[in-house]
Amino acid sequence: MKHDFIDNELLSRLGSLPIESRVPMMGNVAGKHRSPHRGSSVEFAEYRKYVAGDDTRRLDWKVYARSDRFYIKEFEADTNLRAYFVVDASGSMNFSGEGESKISYARKIAASLAYLLVNQGDAAGLSVCTDKLHLEVPPSRRAAHLERFFTTLGQVEPSGETGLIDALHTIAEKIGQRAFVVILSDFFTDSAELSDALQHLRYRKHDVAAFHLMDPQEIGFEFDRPHRFVDLEDGTALVAEPNLIAEEYKEALHEFLTTTKAKCHDAAADYQLVTTDTPLEPLLREFLTARLPKSKH
Amino acid sequence: MLFLSPFFLWGLLAASAPVVIHLINKRRHKTLQWAAMQFLLKATRESRGKRKLRNILILTCRALAIAALVAAAAKPIVSGMMGWGGGSIDTVVLLLDRSASMELRAGDGLKSRRELILEKVSGAMSSLGDPRLVLIDSASMEPQEVPSPDVLGQISATSATDTAADFPAMLNRAAEFLAGSTGRSEIWLASDLQASNWKPNDERWIAAQASLSAMAKTPSVRVLSLSGSTASNTSVRLEQIRRSGDELVLQLELMRSGAARGTTTVPLTTNANGVKTTENISLPGQSITLQKRIALPAGLESGYGWVSVPADGNLRDNVAFFAFGPARSRESLVVSEVGESADYLELSAAPTGMENLQTSVVSPAQAVNSIAPNIAAILWAAPLPNGRTAESLEQYIRSGGHVMFFPNGKKTTSPFMDFSWSGPQESPKGQFFILKDWSRVDGLMRDGVDGTSIAGKKLLAIRRQMPVGDLTPMARWEDGEPMMTRRIIDRGTAWMVGSIPDYKWSNLGDGDILLPAVQRVIAQGADRFDRSYLTPVGSESSMVTRLESWSRVDTYEDAMPVKSLHKSGVYESGGQVLALNRPADEDSIEVLTRDELNLALNDTSYTLFDQAGKADEGSLSKDVWRAFIIAVLLFFLAEALLCLPKKSRFDAMPARAGA
Repeated sequence: MKHDFIDNELLSRLGSLPIESRVPMMGNVAGKHRSPHRGSSVEFAEYRKYVAGDDTRRLDWKVYARSDRFYIKEFEADTNLRAYFVVDASGSMNFSGEGESKISYARKIAASLAYLLVNQGDAAGLSVCTDKLHLEVPPSRRAAHLERFFTTLGQVEPSGETGLIDALHTIAEKIGQRAFVVILSDFFTDSAELSDALQHLRYRKHDVAAFHLMDPQEIGFEFDRPHRFVDLEDGTALVAEPNLIAEEYKEALHEFLTTTKAKCHDAAADYQLVTTDTPLEPLLREFLTARLPKSKH
Repeated sequence: MLFLSPFFLWGLLAASAPVVIHLINKRRHKTLQWAAMQFLLKATRESRGKRKLRNILILTCRALAIAALVAAAAKPIVSGMMGWGGGSIDTVVLLLDRSASMELRAGDGLKSRRELILEKVSGAMSSLGDPRLVLIDSASMEPQEVPSPDVLGQISATSATDTAADFPAMLNRAAEFLAGSTGRSEIWLASDLQASNWKPNDERWIAAQASLSAMAKTPSVRVLSLSGSTASNTSVRLEQIRRSGDELVLQLELMRSGAARGTTTVPLTTNANGVKTTENISLPGQSITLQKRIALPAGLESGYGWVSVPADGNLRDNVAFFAFGPARSRESLVVSEVGESADYLELSAAPTGMENLQTSVVSPAQAVNSIAPNIAAILWAAPLPNGRTAESLEQYIRSGGHVMFFPNGKKTTSPFMDFSWSGPQESPKGQFFILKDWSRVDGLMRDGVDGTSIAGKKLLAIRRQMPVGDLTPMARWEDGEPMMTRRIIDRGTAWMVGSIPDYKWSNLGDGDILLPAVQRVIAQGADRFDRSYLTPVGSESSMVTRLESWSRVDTYEDAMPVKSLHKSGVYESGGQVLALNRPADEDSIEVLTRDELNLALNDTSYTLFDQAGKADEGSLSKDVWRAFIIAVLLFFLAEALLCLPKKSRFDAMPARAGA
């Protein structure tokens, strides 16, 4: 692969870890994920009494012979998973303190997870959003689709204000079936609107995972001299002496992080606060392991 | 508030440095593309008021710390009236010490103490809003209004003099002056704290304090001292002058300032009747007493001159003037019955070959007619006088005469004045009364100028009588009884010697003690004749020079000498010459101690400001600058506390949801 956000060695090490959905999925094809419907897999689910209209082919005749009652034998249905990666491409994602930019880190997470998903037979789609732009790569299980996914991801140039809220609402409405929605953003948007969007996704029964990306400099806010801060999104400038406002800044940031985390929890989203200096492998390993059903731990 | 080093106040400009640095720092900011702008805006909005206040406080603390440091360096002095005690002053009475010691410079290249103090006072007056300034100077003692503090250093009433100062009298004068005033007033005593000028045990202090306390508004008393380190200085003083025929004998004392160490050479210039000679005098230690003999032209009736050392730290103590009259014989009188002791005393008073010494022997009965003012000394080897003789003798002593009393073998029944003789004592058989000790620096048995001591141990006595009365022992027998005593009575002196030059009494007649003692008593008695040509500046006898007939004749300071009532010099009127010198006390280096100052100004709650902070005791000084140093520390402490980063409550990131 020619994309610099793909780490082959990392992917091969993570290859053994499956990506599990926390909710049953409704896919078009058979897969490794649970389906809310009863299907014809090998895994027995339950017996239930026959009701008129049931397919008589599914009657368990052996039980009828023993009990003289009609029972229908039901099996778990396995289906595939469709994942949507929503990448915030607002100007603020372009911020890089002393290391990697947030968008670069988001690319790595999205690409790695997408590769793992396709590799295990699931579909991965991409949605890149700003206030002016909404790029979309529909989900697909085909390996060749990955190249399109990566190319689109690599071409993302963060600018302008965020279009995350609209993008989430759009995805919630557009995707008919349950899906795994992975949001990669710094969530620098109105928290009430964010909450509405997340609740919308929850209402549509999507499995939502949120990677809250922050730069270490944004968290630590340590500077030794006055700075002129220029907003990456709208170009607003402000001269400030960081030492004198650090306390208030950190208080506001703490409130934001706490609120965002609470909103994600309210919407049953899997929330991950990640700083861009966090090594990728332990982060993804922890993320994937946490999603495994308890029996598979 | 008064600053002793006001040029340091230019440093106050440095107080603006923190503000300037802050402004410069604000301008040299770095531009940073920032994402989390919403929190920055919120933080700025929320902290604007607090931050501004904190910023202002920090900058204020820094500026004040620098200002306080500068103010401390400028050596502030402050009084209750001048400083934060508040209140306006209507009148300041300045008691200015114009004595010769005030001309000592505070350091090499610096101004004299008097000039410095005038500058300080002038500055202080300006800071007080120029209240009424009344000057009482130590020379004239007359209150006089000073129109403006700016001219303080230029008026004649503040110029240098060779007088001494009398502070108890000056304070009394100030109290008299302020007695009728109603406004708030202060009395400033500007001095070098020379102990002889302050006379701390003088009873007039009590009177002055009582006068001040009785006033409706008791004036505050401030002592502005300029003691402490000084420029190197050597002084010359004329202790004694004696004309002996065609020779003039000057007894001089050379003194160096207290800090001087080792031996130095001082060129001593003598100008006698226009003849100038210079010789180098080796001065080991702090002082030396020396005799200077000047040969006079034959037949010279009278004359004058001066001895001087080069200009140094104090220009007023570099010269001693002298004047002399015609040579006169030294007449003495021996009052005794005819006998061995009378012979010895006569021989001691006028040894053979000493033509300028004349003596006559009279019986006690004839003494009353022989006691005359022109007699240098009287040797009284007879019963103590009474009646008219006693009156005449007492008058002789009080007017400056010297009398040496010897016992007559009988206990005194009626004392002369208040002293008498005890009964005679015989030494145990085969033993003698021997001298144990005697004063080697003072009195008739003192060591000679060259250090040679009197052979007192050679005196062997078998009979003695002890002087009784309020007398100062100058020599003692081995058993502690006085052998020789002294009593100074007004200008004269009475000496009592406990044995007589008679073989039935002692070997006093051998001359080891008797001859030098008798010669010294005659010399001291004769000094008053030569001393009539000398007088200290400011003394009553010096006041005759104010008369127009007197004119100054010496050319020490100027080829055209200026007559001044308060300056030393040689004055002449109708053939009579008079040399005026600064008072001997002005050469004293003794400085008032804190206890003595407390004693003198006990009831005035005075405040002392010492420029040097070394007025005998370091604690004498009012350390106002220390308050400023403490303020500096407090400001820096406050600044440090304000700059301390707050311990953030939000350092930790929220735990990851999935963790």
